[in-house]
Amino acid sequence: MEERILYNLLQVAVVMGFAPLAEGVLNRLKEIVQSKRGPSIFQPYRDIWKLLHKDEVVSEESTWLFRATPYVAFVAPVFVTLLIPVLTRYPLFFAFMGDMLGGGFVLALGGFFVALAAVDTGNPYGPMGASRTRMVGFLAEPVFIIVFFTVSFVAGSTIPYIVQTVWLSPFSNFFAPSHVLTMLAFFMLILAEDARIPVDSPSGHFELAMIDKSKGLEYSGRGAAIMKWAGAMKLFVLLCIFLNVLVTPWGLASTTALGDVLLAIPLVLLKIFLFLVALVVIESSLAKLRLFRITEFLSAAFVTSVVALTTSASGL
Amino acid sequence: MELAAILLAPAAVAACCLVVSRRTAAMLTVIGSAVVVFLALLAADRVLSEGSRAGLGGWLSCDPLGALVLLLVAFVGLMAALFSIGYLPRRHAAGGRVNGNYFSLYNLFLLSMLAVPILANIALVWIAVALTTLASAFLVAYEDTPEALEAAWKYVVLTTLGAVVALLGIVFLYWAMKLGGGGPFTWAGLRAAAPHLPPPVLWMGFLLVLVGFGTKAGLAPMHTWLPDAHSQAPAPICALLSGVETTTALYAVLRLFPVLETAGGVGARNWFLVFGLVSTGAAALLLVYVRDYKRMFAFSTVEHMGIVMVAIGLGDPAHFGAAYQILAHALAKSFCFFAAGAVVLVVGTQEIASVRGLIRVSPIAAAAVLLGGLTISGAPPFAVFMSEFAILKAGLGTAQYVAAGLLALFVVVAFCAMMQHVNHIVFGQAGPVQAVASLPATCVAALVLSAIPVLVLGVYLPSGLHRLLAAAAAALGGAP
Amino acid sequence: MTDPIASYILHLNAMAGGLFLLAAFAIVATRQMLSCVRWFVGQSLLLAASATAIGIGLHSWHLGAVAVITVFTKAIAMPWLLRRTVRRELYRRREISQVLNIPTSLLVAAALTLLAYAIVYPVTAMAAAPFVDINLSVGLAGLFLGAYTVAVRREAVSQLLGLLAMENGAFFAAVSIAPDLPFIAELTVAFDVPVTTLVIGLLTRRIHERVGGTSVGLLAALRER
Repeated sequence: MEERILYNLLQVAVVMGFAPLAEGVLNRLKEIVQSKRGPSIFQPYRDIWKLLHKDEVVSEESTWLFRATPYVAFVAPVFVTLLIPVLTRYPLFFAFMGDMLGGGFVLALGGFFVALAAVDTGNPYGPMGASRTRMVGFLAEPVFIIVFFTVSFVAGSTIPYIVQTVWLSPFSNFFAPSHVLTMLAFFMLILAEDARIPVDSPSGHFELAMIDKSKGLEYSGRGAAIMKWAGAMKLFVLLCIFLNVLVTPWGLASTTALGDVLLAIPLVLLKIFLFLVALVVIESSLAKLRLFRITEFLSAAFVTSVVALTTSASGL
Repeated sequence: MELAAILLAPAAVAACCLVVSRRTAAMLTVIGSAVVVFLALLAADRVLSEGSRAGLGGWLSCDPLGALVLLLVAFVGLMAALFSIGYLPRRHAAGGRVNGNYFSLYNLFLLSMLAVPILANIALVWIAVALTTLASAFLVAYEDTPEALEAAWKYVVLTTLGAVVALLGIVFLYWAMKLGGGGPFTWAGLRAAAPHLPPPVLWMGFLLVLVGFGTKAGLAPMHTWLPDAHSQAPAPICALLSGVETTTALYAVLRLFPVLETAGGVGARNWFLVFGLVSTGAAALLLVYVRDYKRMFAFSTVEHMGIVMVAIGLGDPAHFGAAYQILAHALAKSFCFFAAGAVVLVVGTQEIASVRGLIRVSPIAAAAVLLGGLTISGAPPFAVFMSEFAILKAGLGTAQYVAAGLLALFVVVAFCAMMQHVNHIVFGQAGPVQAVASLPATCVAALVLSAIPVLVLGVYLPSGLHRLLAAAAAALGGAP
Repeated sequence: MTDPIASYILHLNAMAGGLFLLAAFAIVATRQMLSCVRWFVGQSLLLAASATAIGIGLHSWHLGAVAVITVFTKAIAMPWLLRRTVRRELYRRREISQVLNIPTSLLVAAALTLLAYAIVYPVTAMAAAPFVDINLSVGLAGLFLGAYTVAVRREAVSQLLGLLAMENGAFFAAVSIAPDLPFIAELTVAFDVPVTTLVIGLLTRRIHERVGGTSVGLLAALRER
């Protein structure tokens, strides 16, 4: 009982602690693929540390929303971490507090506040980016819902821990057509939600073309640090859901021994690393889509998820 | 043995035509087609006396219905080859590409059409039908105008689409046979195994084949490629396409009817009736609006394919009419296209509005068009009228008044529409278009030779032919 | 009777089925001609993989031969023929517009897949053979999607690929329900693909020479009006 609370908190610590590392590794890999040296993988930690010690400049026109948003954006992924399997296979203390849909909505809440804060300052680029982010989010919502429905339909439950066991135990389920298509749809969703190529360019500096990066434009000092950390955590959380529930539900601790749980940490990090390699390959080989073609990208994801749903519903 | 020879002859001629000069190729083609006609007559005679023929160790087989189709393909092939000799150079003088491969493609096309009624394995029949499209693609595109290329494109794409759908249907039928206990995958084998075939599989197979090969046969609503392809191709090719290629595709569909009848249920008849009536009705309506006389004859093909389908759907008494209709249509339609080709040679345009008073300009062409229009639209005392009358009589006799009534209505509408167009072309004040030249001798010869059966068969049906038709009708019936 | 089929064979076949369906969707939606051709080649390889899996499962070397023929005709011969006949058209083409825009196309394609599943359901329920349920549903869906591609695309090469994708779908169904078609039939049906490619390729080249483009969907001179 106490272990479950402990492990739950350990999960949160892992996510908070290793999220910047994931981002650092991703940036380094991208630079390496482009034949450059790239920054150290611990650079995001240094960036966050540096920003935390700087002064904050806040626009006079902004309201409480602007000041509160970094914290909301930070807490949302933390809250979702409590619900999903990160280290263990069995449900932890807070696991039944919300299911996958609830987790999805909490993440959306964070995104909602961020979008509003971007509008709050009066900077013209903020609302432009915010409206584009909302467009992408609005088109991605149906995919989210259908993907979650598909996996829940197969598993008979919407709690991620229970869903995960479906892909785990008869091994045949892993190769079912609906599973393959669901994985693909969710992967396209991650690309959209986390503003990766081909949806958005995370390393672009040109404000007119920014979709998601514009959320951080106005922040400085502590606010910027927290927003940066929150962005890294959002990616980490999405990856945990994707990898631990859908793609590779193995390598998680199945007993309550502390050693097992600690062993799960490097395994999870390894899985995330492999995924980041795949992500880098995809990011480096595609070009950013024009804005109106993002609808095609997301409708392809939607259709893939719908076909996955009908395939599993018709019992194939 | 003659069945194998029937296939070898065009193949050999096709190979030769690649290397010899144009004139020799034309001569070879005519000779080869004449040989094929002779062999087909031989085969038909043997089929009548023996019930069915087999050849090439069982890979080829022919029964009365197949013999009928074989005879028609052979005869129209010969006539069209004869017509081509005079037609092509005259068209090229008017402008157009000289293509040395016309006759080798022609022979390949003929070969593929001859193969359809005599191949035993149903999967091979599919290949033959698919090959008829591929072999005739460049024949349809022969005139090399943008319209001809557009027509060829639609033709190839839509008929291949139909062929692939039919492929899945045939696979379903094979599966049904396997589930029903096995046996040779031939038309006869399918019919023998009919009582044991599981209905859902059989029905799915039938519907896929109906839609797939129906596209190739020109049944509405899959007929959209037909008026284009059959009007843009050179006239002798149109004769082959309209006269016999659609018939071979329809043959494949008709072969399934006895299987479904034996398997039980009247559903099959309703499908045939509905498709037939829709085709006839659509064709009749479109004939009113048509503006090009070759398209007019093409729509008439759609109409007649529909009539055959209706005849099958009306049941056993109408099957003789169906066989007779197939015979009459093939002969009359090819004649119509020869007539249309003659008009094109004389006048140079295909538009109805531009041609008036042809009888003053070129009596032969005008007489041909008049005769062709009368026969194909069903005027007495010609063969098409006789067959349509037989079908309607059978329909009324079995108390299917609605179907027979609708059929009669559509036929009458089509008759009126076509006669109005033909009247416009043949009679009236001579228009501003001058005659180009007289018709080449071979074209006239082909016209005369193909007119003979058209004129004669309405009033006098030779006893051998009558027996063949009766045997073919029996082959279509439900009783094994 | 037949011994139980190894579960990994069933898994592999199921995965091939899922990816086959994905390839069919991609052929509907891709803009670049080259990537369309590559998706088709991928689809054919998946067909060969499924044929091999079923061949191993049912102990039929016949299907192994079918797989080899498929790879040869569709993955090797067809792209080669296409390159030979329509090289310029292939390498330069992007299809800017379809009859319906791509998201709508994809939705219609999803609806067609549902339709295919619904149609096939009574048949697969009756048959209860090991590979039939996946292959028949995915095959029929592939057939419908290919036909839809022909209807909705305007470029010549895309329509050709739609036709060939249809044939892939028909074959995908056929390898599970008719694994022992006479060999001569399999061979000739397989060679239909390169011949069709050749004919349509040459026709496309002629159209390009005559009309100046390959957007065959826009050729609409032959009408009644």
